[in-house]
Amino acid sequence: MSRVPLPPRDAERFSTVCQFCIVGCGYRVYRWPMGRSGGPHPDDNAFGLDLRKPQPPMGTWLAPANHTVVTDRDGSRHHIAIVPDPACRVNDGMASVRGAGLASTLYAPDKPTKARLKSPLLDEGKGQAPVTWDAAVDLGARVVKAVIDRWGADAVGMKFFDHGGGGGGFENNWAVGRFFFSGIGTRNASIHNRPAYNSEVHAAADAGVAALTNAYLDAQLADTILVVGANPYETQTNYFLAHMVPNLQGASLELKRATFPGEPVEAGRMIIVDPRRTMTVSTAIAAGGADRVLHLAIEPGSDIALLNAIARVVTQRRWHDVAFIRERTETQTYEAYLRSSLGTDRASDEFLAEASRLTGVPAAQIVKAAEWIAAPKAGGVRRRTLLHYEKGLIWGLKNYENVAALVDLGLLTGNVGKPGTGISRLGGHQEGYVRPPYPGGRPALNVDEALRRGELKVFWIGGCNPVLTTLRAETFEAALAERGAPVREALRATAGRPIGERVAAVVEAMKAGGTFILAQDIYPTESARHAHLVLPAAQWGEMNLTSINGERRLRLYPKFMDAPGEAIADWAILARFARRLRALYAAENNPLMANRYLDYDWRTDEDVFIHARYSFKGDGSDGMEGYAGVTYELLRTLGNNGIQTPVRLVAGTPVGRVRMHEDGRFGTPSGKARFIPAPLPWPGYGGAIARQKARFRFWVNNGRSNHIWQTAYHHRHIPFYADRFPIPYVEIHPDDAKSLSVASGDLVELRNDVGTVQAMAYVSDAVKKGHLFMLFGQPRGAAGDLVSEHVDPTTTIPYYKGVWADLRRVGPMPEALRSVSLAPTNVAD
Amino acid sequence: MIATGAGVSGTLLPMVASAAAGAAKEKSSPPASVRIADLASLKVDVPVPFTYPDENSPALLVRMKQAVPGGVGPDGSIVAYSQLCTHKGCPVAYRPERKLLICPCHWSSFDPAKAGQMVIGQGSQPLPRIVLRVEGAAVHAMGVDGLIYGRHTNVL
Repeated sequence: MSRVPLPPRDAERFSTVCQFCIVGCGYRVYRWPMGRSGGPHPDDNAFGLDLRKPQPPMGTWLAPANHTVVTDRDGSRHHIAIVPDPACRVNDGMASVRGAGLASTLYAPDKPTKARLKSPLLDEGKGQAPVTWDAAVDLGARVVKAVIDRWGADAVGMKFFDHGGGGGGFENNWAVGRFFFSGIGTRNASIHNRPAYNSEVHAAADAGVAALTNAYLDAQLADTILVVGANPYETQTNYFLAHMVPNLQGASLELKRATFPGEPVEAGRMIIVDPRRTMTVSTAIAAGGADRVLHLAIEPGSDIALLNAIARVVTQRRWHDVAFIRERTETQTYEAYLRSSLGTDRASDEFLAEASRLTGVPAAQIVKAAEWIAAPKAGGVRRRTLLHYEKGLIWGLKNYENVAALVDLGLLTGNVGKPGTGISRLGGHQEGYVRPPYPGGRPALNVDEALRRGELKVFWIGGCNPVLTTLRAETFEAALAERGAPVREALRATAGRPIGERVAAVVEAMKAGGTFILAQDIYPTESARHAHLVLPAAQWGEMNLTSINGERRLRLYPKFMDAPGEAIADWAILARFARRLRALYAAENNPLMANRYLDYDWRTDEDVFIHARYSFKGDGSDGMEGYAGVTYELLRTLGNNGIQTPVRLVAGTPVGRVRMHEDGRFGTPSGKARFIPAPLPWPGYGGAIARQKARFRFWVNNGRSNHIWQTAYHHRHIPFYADRFPIPYVEIHPDDAKSLSVASGDLVELRNDVGTVQAMAYVSDAVKKGHLFMLFGQPRGAAGDLVSEHVDPTTTIPYYKGVWADLRRVGPMPEALRSVSLAPTNVAD
Repeated sequence: MIATGAGVSGTLLPMVASAAAGAAKEKSSPPASVRIADLASLKVDVPVPFTYPDENSPALLVRMKQAVPGGVGPDGSIVAYSQLCTHKGCPVAYRPERKLLICPCHWSSFDPAKAGQMVIGQGSQPLPRIVLRVEGAAVHAMGVDGLIYGRHTNVL
């Protein structure tokens, strides 16, 4: 395209937040009718800019990817332009590669997004075909009721989003929780990316430390930023570029001096714990210089040993925060931590040498990391260190002890609740969790296994795609197909018969091992393909939703267009089912069951938002999401800078909180933080993992990339993204590639005892010899096909990163070579 | 927050061969063919800065080591791109050791051998390509494929 239409001065305007990653960058949406157009004169366009001249670097530019044309349900057509908001403190006018394409993700009947689900679909053995909402809800509700009545609530399994951002938010999360927990009451629930209903950071919660403690500003103020198992250039882009990079460059020195008068300050340092030399490592070095960046390229599964060894050096050098430990932590937990996690009964040198052997990190680098984290600054002033972690740690060898080791290191050095510090996840998706309590215990039930064993008579998949993302993904899909078949046959055999007869036939099929599958989504995903009933949901921009980002910034993401066809918000889908279930139980004079589905008469998105708000008190006791007293009207007034949760009500006025634990209180009964001692300084590889590791040549690391969000549910349809990686890539070290006669662009196959998966070879020294890195959850090659059944027994969190496999060359892909760049990606420095 | 070009080779705002000025004065009409360089003077991996379609639009011509898709010249190795990054409009520089056009501000990189595809980074589209033609002993710019940063239309 060599021309974009300009929004006229009177274009409708909305402030919104990106639908994708945790950072939650602010954007401005302009909407104006087809047939009208603004002009380049500053009086003639909504930007108020003189577009007769080219805009300067860092200016506002309406790129072709920022524009689309949408069609509403009344047939009217409108231009939509979505550009980054220069007044938003999160992103400072910058888009990431993902946010830049927000407009291209919007539904349009003449664009690739026409693939969206537009009406409910029912599969009666002849493929999924459109059905009315009334018929879909009636059949689905009757089946769910029959299952609860016969087998009990736990026979209804579900795997649903629990996130903020696109397809989530407080509104939809509240409806999911009410329906499945207060209504149905099932314990066989699981969260979008894992087989159970569990926190990814139980250890942080047990320590009393929130998942998201700091403000993004703290990354500009920190002396040192520790990043464990994350790649923020690619996956938390504008937090990295707008907050961390300026610190590394020394561009935030004035801010530091103003914030910390009299305290010695200098440009920031960064420690990155990652087996790969990622673009984040390369960019940090380009920004801050090689002497201010420490890359600890650890061996897989050794995080606990590394973090505990750093902590051991800290204690040995007496760099720990004695006052913080004494006043703010339960000291008996500190003593237990010293003994068991830090092995203080053993000689320090021996402990360090063993950690170095396990991690592959030289002892000198471990000591240097300890210095950068905790050695006092000039004049004995405590160093301010911001500790960040994400999936490299969370999906690691032992989820609970991994997170505990990081949190313990933060507590040991007193780095929480003060400017320039924090112990926080970097985050993947945005947050927006508000639900009644999950009825199950801990460790939570493994829903994938329940499906395999035939214990789920209903399985409801909402806003996620486990066929691509779960562990043992091939056998998971096989279970869906096998258990779905008898139910599909029952629906085929009773097509056109009265509803009671049909439900009875479905129940008979369930007795023979069948499962009724519902899928609620925006696209016909690989998982939805197996559903008997497909329910079309609205997405970002098609409903009002609210979410928080990685610094708990709560904002309103308003509706600015209609959802396609008959798609409705997730909360509205579940409300329809709840009302139908209530009516069915009421018709049987069963008020006990009918009353489980009370109060679903929400009319607007805000009705749901306010209903969920009663979960919060606003008295300082709420968790990090608390938004007591907040209304849509307030959020509209606050725009893209929003308010940071948890919100407290002070004389009725909502007051936000910049950082958690600033009052020195933690989320434990005593109000003091707890160290979480691990039984051993390093637990070792478990049975199935150890066997796989011994048998196969390569460790298969996996994660996300710059261009592609999650399962590429949008991006697979949009050429700019899809053409970058038509086949998901696998990074392989040049020496390993040579030994297998593999060249960049070759199709290769990975195989282990769990399954096989194909990928495009990307020869790169970003990975060490013997290591591979591939994308997770991709439609043409899901790393989950190789992931073993191993989960952390404490938390039921899988060791997704713990995969070993062999690799072989399949052959060349000439078309990929012609159009796909296979230049190294970590090229900033 | 802008890092300016530490360790980046290549000039930032070249003002060489800006012969398109005359063409740009005729608003909305496509710019005329503009002579950029003599074929004989082009060396592999030595970028030639020029402006096109007007003097405010820096571009880089690169002769690659071998033929590339869309390349012109006797061995099909000559390509040219807008120098303005499609993220925030900073001027990309050609890094011969990487064979990539890399932005010094936020490190987006583009592959001149793959139609300007963004290798990694935060732009929203490939680098706009300057359409080239060899006439006699010289390389000429004929048009632009893609919208140049900072503009709603390439010819303002």
